Amino acid sequence: MSKSPDGTAASDTRDLEHRLDALQLLPSGAVRRTPNWWSGVWPPAVAVLLLLTIWQTYCAIAQPRPDLYPSVFDVASAIGANWDSGRLPAALLTSLTRGGLGFVYAIILGTIIGFLLVEVPLLRRAFGPIISGLQVLPSVAWVPAAILWFGLTDATVYFVILMGAVPSIANGLVDGIRQVPSHIRRVGVVLGAGPVALHRYVLFPAALPGYLAGLRQGWAFAWRSLMAAEIIATGGKLGFGLGSLLQQNRELADLPGVLATVLTILALGIVIEVGVFTPIQRRVLLRRGLTEAR
Amino acid sequence: MTDAITLTGVSKFFDPSRPVLDDMSLHVKQGQFICVVGVSGCGKSTLLNLIAGLETASMGSVDVPSGRASVMFQDPSLMPWLTARGNVELALRLRGVGRNERAAEAQRLLTLVNLADAGDKLPHQLSGGMKQRVALARALAQDREVLLMDEPFAALDAVTRDLLHDELERVWRETGRTIVFVTHNVREAARLGDRVILMTARGGKIAREWEIDVERPRLIESPAVSSLAGSVSSALRAELAKVSNV
Repeated sequence: MSKSPDGTAASDTRDLEHRLDALQLLPSGAVRRTPNWWSGVWPPAVAVLLLLTIWQTYCAIAQPRPDLYPSVFDVASAIGANWDSGRLPAALLTSLTRGGLGFVYAIILGTIIGFLLVEVPLLRRAFGPIISGLQVLPSVAWVPAAILWFGLTDATVYFVILMGAVPSIANGLVDGIRQVPSHIRRVGVVLGAGPVALHRYVLFPAALPGYLAGLRQGWAFAWRSLMAAEIIATGGKLGFGLGSLLQQNRELADLPGVLATVLTILALGIVIEVGVFTPIQRRVLLRRGLTEAR
Repeated sequence: MTDAITLTGVSKFFDPSRPVLDDMSLHVKQGQFICVVGVSGCGKSTLLNLIAGLETASMGSVDVPSGRASVMFQDPSLMPWLTARGNVELALRLRGVGRNERAAEAQRLLTLVNLADAGDKLPHQLSGGMKQRVALARALAQDREVLLMDEPFAALDAVTRDLLHDELERVWRETGRTIVFVTHNVREAARLGDRVILMTARGGKIAREWEIDVERPRLIESPAVSSLAGSVSSALRAELAKVSNV
């Protein structure tokens, strides 16, 4: 660039800069998800088929007692029978409703507690270790106490779900916000954000990956707690959930029915994991350039 | 012309026996581009933080009549979840600009830093130089008279930095901002500044000052800039030598 009149010089600079940008810009295609979802589906599908084949082959060759070691087809027909009798759909609906509603309560409570712990350092120092400790305590341990407090009502189930999920969600938010790089926070302050705006536009969005990880773990704990509570606490005013179905099939010594219920619970867990949490987390991380596209 | 920044007898210390800044006075005229150079730990970043209001002076007074300044750091610190446009719009939103005006204003600022068609890119898709230009657009979005820059181009490659010098000079002339630019790069200071201030290596004082009246736009390799950089550089080495003797 020569020392020409500055109009020309400036436009030269801008043109050069533009060319340099074009060289350095990552193509936006690099972060788009490849439309080839099939490559993510077939390996686990083959794995499941393989396991089912091994199971069925064993039953066909060894001919074990069908009441103790049912075959794949026995279990499949048990799923069909439980479905047709209306017990499985009813239990599914009850458990999903409870799990979903309990999880929503847990999100609200966990988020409020998380924000309090973030905002009040004394509170965090006092209650932080207790809440981390509660994460380690299996929330089934609360079932006997909950039955004594609330009786055989849905309140017992919700209480156990909350005890399972709230600590994970609160901890996820606390960790997420504490891991926000200090320069991001400083920029928020420099840009003139007040306390509320700083949280709303800077800290919470910045903490989202940690918060989502907490939600995911919270759901896993909530779902496990729910199943455990439904197995232990049955009868009374309690609705009939998947755990209750499991327990009822055991009492009927119906092993195909028990396994059918277990597989249903497992399948539901996978569907929610793969269908809800994985895509959300993936999108959030991809947007921030925190993970490579497959 | 009036002063955009006035420092009167400013001292800053965390430990009174070792002041970071000691009885420092400085007047920066409105629209002036002033560069502050010095070795690491000489207090130049502290000086910037004081003017920005991020720290308070232990003694003396810091006066920025136009109100708070906007700041740019070495790290562009873009919000990773927002696009380039989103980052600029965030600054506008926090300034209180209404939703309807934000998009147009953000586009104007992105055009100003030559990123008119990169508004929808996310930070991780941008090169270091582009991120720093988005950060510049964001700082300009605050619409404050004084712009403070803390080694904003230190992490960039030479080609990009060279282009950004031209870009910043043009933006400065178009917007008439008062700029305080902290750097450890003597050539950069001579290339950009109306004035260069050299800080003592320790003790937090102004060691020397140069007024530069080389015609703009300048070239970093021009003889005038080179010779000035040479004289600042030898003064800086002399400062460093004083510390090593202690």
